[in-house]
Amino acid sequence: MKPGLGTLGLRLLTGLCLGLLAVLLLLPVIALILRVPSGELFTRLGDPIVRQALVLSLEASLSATVIVILLGLPAAYLLATRDFPGKRVVEVLADLPMVLPPTVSGLALLLAFGRVGLLGHSLGLLGISLPFTTAAVVVAQAFMAAPFFLAPVRAGFAAVESRYREVAATLGASERYTFFHVLLPLSWRALVAGTAMSAARALGEFGATITFAGNLPGVTQTMPLAVYLELQNDLEAAVALSVLLLCVSFGLLLALRSARLGARFL
Amino acid sequence: MLDCRLVVRREGFTLEAAFLVAAGETLVLAGESGAGKSTLLRALAGLYDPAAGHIAVDGVRWFDRAAGISLAPDRRSVGWVPQDLALFPHLPVLDNVAFGLRARGERGSRARARAREALARVGVADLAARRPGQLSGGQQQRVALARALAGEPRLLLLDEPLSALDLPTRRAVRGELRRLLAELPCTTVLVTHNAVEALLFGDRIAVLEGGRIAQEGNRDELLRRPRSGYVAEFMGVNLLRGQLRGHGGDGLAEVLTADGPVIVAAPANVEGEIFVAVSPREITLYREAPVGSARNLYRGPVLEMVPEPPFGERVRVVLGTHPRLVADVTREAAVELGLTEGDEVYASFKATGTVTYP
Repeated sequence: MKPGLGTLGLRLLTGLCLGLLAVLLLLPVIALILRVPSGELFTRLGDPIVRQALVLSLEASLSATVIVILLGLPAAYLLATRDFPGKRVVEVLADLPMVLPPTVSGLALLLAFGRVGLLGHSLGLLGISLPFTTAAVVVAQAFMAAPFFLAPVRAGFAAVESRYREVAATLGASERYTFFHVLLPLSWRALVAGTAMSAARALGEFGATITFAGNLPGVTQTMPLAVYLELQNDLEAAVALSVLLLCVSFGLLLALRSARLGARFL
Repeated sequence: MLDCRLVVRREGFTLEAAFLVAAGETLVLAGESGAGKSTLLRALAGLYDPAAGHIAVDGVRWFDRAAGISLAPDRRSVGWVPQDLALFPHLPVLDNVAFGLRARGERGSRARARAREALARVGVADLAARRPGQLSGGQQQRVALARALAGEPRLLLLDEPLSALDLPTRRAVRGELRRLLAELPCTTVLVTHNAVEALLFGDRIAVLEGGRIAQEGNRDELLRRPRSGYVAEFMGVNLLRGQLRGHGGDGLAEVLTADGPVIVAAPANVEGEIFVAVSPREITLYREAPVGSARNLYRGPVLEMVPEPPFGERVRVVLGTHPRLVADVTREAAVELGLTEGDEVYASFKATGTVTYP
């Protein structure tokens, strides 16, 4: 066989793969955008169901992201800088929600915080009932989003050479001072990445939310849930919601990429 | 003043070193890579807890294994310049230097003013606004030094301060660093594997070998009276050891070494086991066995010939004689003899060219 033929065959095959991949990944997005009735996107935003879902989604995912950052930063720091027995297991557990089917996560959340769950009874005594409330939405989203923050931030912290922390210590800096003035600035790209990824994950959460929090309009019905519901009775509303979600997700990914490319130092 | 005894245990390796360094003095810890020099510095800085021992600086206990004392690095008054310098890449030079002052709670304007002073002291005040990534190796070295000095530490620790620099920069920085160390009020421990730098910087030099200090002393003592084969090799001196055998009437004496007798200038008031040091310049090389008075004559192959900087005017000739000798001859002599590696030659030195000591 001539060598040229082989190269040509390889090129054709590569082209075919690329084409199929484009059809698989791009066509659905294009189809979605094409279905938006011109000029109706903003009218649809006035629809109470759509507006409620939009507001709830933004509120819940923002809260979930803030919670994930606040609880995740110290954990990521300890995992990146300390050695302790069972660290491997903790790391795997922290990654678990990433691979767990969301409905399974929802069920697990119910069994932990539900009325008959492990903590449910104690919470009930305090007058708190989590399931089927907006708080449950936040909990479900935070549960699903946490690993998407922990993993990159932990890696980012670990990638900062320990030499910098050591020099800071010899210069008289406390561990806290070094964390805020050396570690955070040197791993800001990992922080942006983790925040964007977990926010996107929280925003798109469906399975755990519907299992743990239900689908109550205005209380627990986030945008992905509304899309699913509207699919049964109003396709146009579902499309409008979907395009909105698409725009937000696209914006988050774009922010992520600019953060990666914005390499002013290092 | 630094008073310390440090015991470092690693797998299959124990390092034990004790030394006193007077206030304002510089001690050079010399030894080859892997001898544990950097680990000793890290222990002094508080980044590593030794298995045993103590560290006291100006009367303050920083570490005492027996008493369970170990101050964290940020509680020690120390300036540590690691080998790779580790300037904070996200901070401009001025903020790098002001970092320690700010961390200790000094106000911004005052910290920056003091940082400027520290930069001026090492001669790079004009770089304050730059980022570390924009600096040359020599400039980075000076900035790292300024950062370590800004807080006026009682103990300054320099880990191979010149190793990251290219040769011309190294020469320039070497002179400046020497002047600076002489001016500084703080006690300094400097680590190097380079004999020239050890001799240049050290008021006192401690040579580490096989997990302990093989010899400690000032330049002259180490150069003229090395007390171990390793120290002699490090300093580039030939060293023999043997039993002194009676003084002859001619002012000469015989020393019986493992490789046979050596005739030396008879030392006064010395008996028993003695060292015999022979400068490489005292060694003469011949093609044929010389006729006449040369007493200490050895035969062996030329193992290696190394031209010496700056112009290769002198050549170091490593010989496979017993005992092993290194000769330092002029290039003319080497050319005249037609020396090449592998040649069999005769080497001799005069009895009067030896230095003997117990």
